[in-house]
Amino acid sequence: MNNKKSLLQRAAAAPHIVWSVLFIIAPLIFVIYYAFTDSEGSFTMENIKNLAQPSYLEIFLRSLCFAFLATIICLIIAYPIAYFITKASPKTQKILIMLVMLPMWMNFLIRTYSWMALLEDSGIINTVLKLLGLGPIHMINTEGAVILGMVYNFLPYMILPIHSVLSKIDTRLMEAASDLGCNHFQVITKVVFPLSIPGIISGITMVFVPSISTFYISQKLGGGNFDLIGDTIERQFQTAYNYNLGAAMSFILMILIIISMTIMNKYADDDGGVII
Amino acid sequence: MKRKAASNIYTVLVFIFLYMPIAVLILFSFNSSSSTGRFDGFSLRWYRELFSDAATMNALKNTLILAVLSSIIATVIGTLAAYGINKMKNRHLKGGITAVTNVPMMNPEIVTGISMMLLFVFVGGIINSKTVLGFGTVLIAHVTFNLPYVILSVMPKFKQMDKHLPEAALDLGCTPMQSFLKVELPQILPGIISGFIMAFTLSLDDFIISYFTVGSGFETLPIRIYSMTKKRVTPDMYALSTLIFVVIMILLLLSNISGDKEKKTLTLKQKKRRKIAIISTFSVIAATTLGLFIGTSFTEVVTVNVYNWGEYISDGGEDEDGVASVDVNKEFEKYYSKYLSEQKGRKIKVKVNYTTYASNEDLYAKLKAGAGGYDVIVPSDYMIERLIAEGLIQPIASREEITNVIKNYDYLLREPSDGETMTKEETEIFQKPFYDNGEDVYSVMYTYGVVGIIYNADHVSEEDIGGWDLLWNEKYKGKILQFNNARDAFGTAMYKLGVNVNDPTAEQWQDVLNELIKQKPIVQSYVMDEVFNKMESGEAWIAPYYAGDALSMIYQAEDRNINLGFYYPQNEEGETVTNVFADAMCIPADVSEEQKAHAIAYIDFMLSVDENYGSPAIANAEYIYYASPNRMVYTNSSYLETLDGDEEIIYAPIENNIDELFNTYAYRNLSSKNLATLNSNWETLKVESSSFNGTIYIISAVIAIAIIAFIVFIAVRRKYRRKLYWEQSPIAIKKASKNTPSDDLSDTVTIAIKRSKSNKD
Repeated sequence: MNNKKSLLQRAAAAPHIVWSVLFIIAPLIFVIYYAFTDSEGSFTMENIKNLAQPSYLEIFLRSLCFAFLATIICLIIAYPIAYFITKASPKTQKILIMLVMLPMWMNFLIRTYSWMALLEDSGIINTVLKLLGLGPIHMINTEGAVILGMVYNFLPYMILPIHSVLSKIDTRLMEAASDLGCNHFQVITKVVFPLSIPGIISGITMVFVPSISTFYISQKLGGGNFDLIGDTIERQFQTAYNYNLGAAMSFILMILIIISMTIMNKYADDDGGVII
Repeated sequence: MKRKAASNIYTVLVFIFLYMPIAVLILFSFNSSSSTGRFDGFSLRWYRELFSDAATMNALKNTLILAVLSSIIATVIGTLAAYGINKMKNRHLKGGITAVTNVPMMNPEIVTGISMMLLFVFVGGIINSKTVLGFGTVLIAHVTFNLPYVILSVMPKFKQMDKHLPEAALDLGCTPMQSFLKVELPQILPGIISGFIMAFTLSLDDFIISYFTVGSGFETLPIRIYSMTKKRVTPDMYALSTLIFVVIMILLLLSNISGDKEKKTLTLKQKKRRKIAIISTFSVIAATTLGLFIGTSFTEVVTVNVYNWGEYISDGGEDEDGVASVDVNKEFEKYYSKYLSEQKGRKIKVKVNYTTYASNEDLYAKLKAGAGGYDVIVPSDYMIERLIAEGLIQPIASREEITNVIKNYDYLLREPSDGETMTKEETEIFQKPFYDNGEDVYSVMYTYGVVGIIYNADHVSEEDIGGWDLLWNEKYKGKILQFNNARDAFGTAMYKLGVNVNDPTAEQWQDVLNELIKQKPIVQSYVMDEVFNKMESGEAWIAPYYAGDALSMIYQAEDRNINLGFYYPQNEEGETVTNVFADAMCIPADVSEEQKAHAIAYIDFMLSVDENYGSPAIANAEYIYYASPNRMVYTNSSYLETLDGDEEIIYAPIENNIDELFNTYAYRNLSSKNLATLNSNWETLKVESSSFNGTIYIISAVIAIAIIAFIVFIAVRRKYRRKLYWEQSPIAIKKASKNTPSDDLSDTVTIAIKRSKSNKD
């Protein structure tokens, strides 16, 4: 009975394992294969070397900085809101969380497109500013616009995991801390914040990774002036047909993300799990 | 109380931020003009248009089918996997599987997308199939990136579940199956449902991964939106988004309200009822999905897969005055179904599966990567040359046979206007264009046009216009737009410098590149379709674009008292020097003989001016607003009436000697060396940082340093404190560092406990 059961249990994961090998591991092997071969299929380091030229390095640096700032801003905006949501009554909480998720159901291309209408020099925001006599501010096609696009699109991915962790914190812990002489601020920094770190980590992951690899946002809100890694990779596959260079960039991007995530997990003293 | 108010204000502000763009798109879905940047009055036009647009509805259907199927498959595999992984004893195996599972979530979407594309292309190469990319591949891709989310939301439920419960059930006489269904399943059900919803949401909105793995006439909504970039994203997409938004809002509200009530008063009967409701909902979903697949197969259906530019066919939409245009694809379905049924003597249904792409390069990438299954494609001149050279399209017929195969082919013969004489070559320019003038006919011309410069007459002074140098005029810094595609962008510089666009020398390539690098600081942005909004709203003043589109911009801008002008750039000798392009219908090489017959019928129909079927050629010419090579169109009086003088601009090249323009200035297929140079130069231009702005880097560096300093500070402080307490009370510290969620917390608590103790003493 027991033996039979464990066989069944092992079989339960089998489809997933087969699927993972076929469609997760095998494709990654192809990326690595293409990254280290030329168009004839013989081994070369040329693709990687190619990426060492200053202009590509700048793209990598720029993507890294944009994604980093977007993540930080997301965190700063998301943390208080996630905290405030947990303070609301269960029913309001449910509705508020629903409202956070709702924009994710709208097509993200369309949402980015409508940001263009908002940010343009003759756009809606500037029209309002002009009426208020605050003068037009040039916003579209700047670094700020690209980062704003990232923050906007990925903010829910930061709010949700943080909220999910915060809402599970035992309120008695906070009460105990304040009973024992902590002031409101100390309760947050000493009790709430440390306990919410796993949520922050998964939020950071879920914002940082898509930010660093996006290509649509930078094209539309950056006016094609701020090439990010995503743009460069997309171009290799869709217009330049240089699969090898594109694969090499993807490979580096993967490495970059693995490094950032390892560093973060290490410093955050966390078991590394991603919590939703 | 103050704090409460502050937090409320903050919450409201964040929600305003989240919903601002959504409010904008809802507003513009009611716009009476096609602008997505300026509100010109209320109308329901785009909603009507949305429902009459078969291709969009089809894309919506595809998106839903894909989302439902992929999330169901992912939920089943994922739940089983979570069950299996949870029961696994071997820790290394467990860890390994979990790590691999998380890969699609940690990996950037673009890497997941291209890695899968590389796999599919490779597999396609092995089984020697040119049609490997299609619904199957995009489904596989979606299941793959959905899996980790399902597993992640189901896994914790298994972990939380009391192990003894199933055992108790078994002891009490349940069979293992019963124990699973009655005890385990209800406990993990919330996890399964949230996993399913998560998967569904992600699949619905996914663009990047689909973009790389889709093919074969299967178009999802995000891809359709993306491919609208040559013309414009029309507000009917906004209308669709608004509808989706409202539907989801209502669904969520309903589920919230009913969910609350149910929990309070749930009798056995109601439970049963709810079970029935859930089961029936699922079966309805399953049945509709199945029905969508099978439903059409009861009658014989002939499908013609057409892959065209975005917004490049008369699609039944309304114009500004609310007059509906002809839905050419629908007319073809009517016509061809009647024709086939009569010929075969049985009822045959015809379906046009119409999908769109954004650029020649996109189309080429798809064909090259193995996205077959297209019967008719509409590439441009230089791309056709390349596709012929690489054997990716097949001859439609030999030149002698062609008039028998395509009945309306002679409509493409040019007719000399009064008193003019033409050589044979001149009359046949549209039938034997430079890119397709061999023994066999590979293409049938659809439209042609000329690139010119559109400018804002209110700001750009008359003496500056005339040549290409307007695009380099420092006076208009930050108001100039440039093409966001390599061939056209380099073309502008080549025409400016008088370089042969098809075979520049190495030196000339360098000059051209330098010219564009020089231009980069004064360019506002590199655009395709955004040009419409930016020019119409006065956001930008100068842009190179295609003549027909320029006219539509001029009309839109007129309504807002913005005066736009348009001209064909000339060189110093006063000759027009600009790009002439032609788009033509072709049949890919992998199309079977049987499908080819349908493709030919479609191509023939596009040339037809049969009034019983809405005069497709005229309808298209009026809709697209580019020049038509079809003499039944440009001599048609009602068409000319519609153009109302615009033919002077649209058809200008005819007067200006089209043969010469075609032969001198049209883009040809570049040699592989030149193509490589073009691509690498484009790469150089794009990565060249014109506006190097150190601020971003400095801010990033400062924040990074601050964070590192903070972390170091915390770590040092913790170490110091530990040391301190170790000396005082070893036990307390031992306890504290023993795997509690956070050391910091236990530190705090221990300190607090100590403090209170010492206070008491």
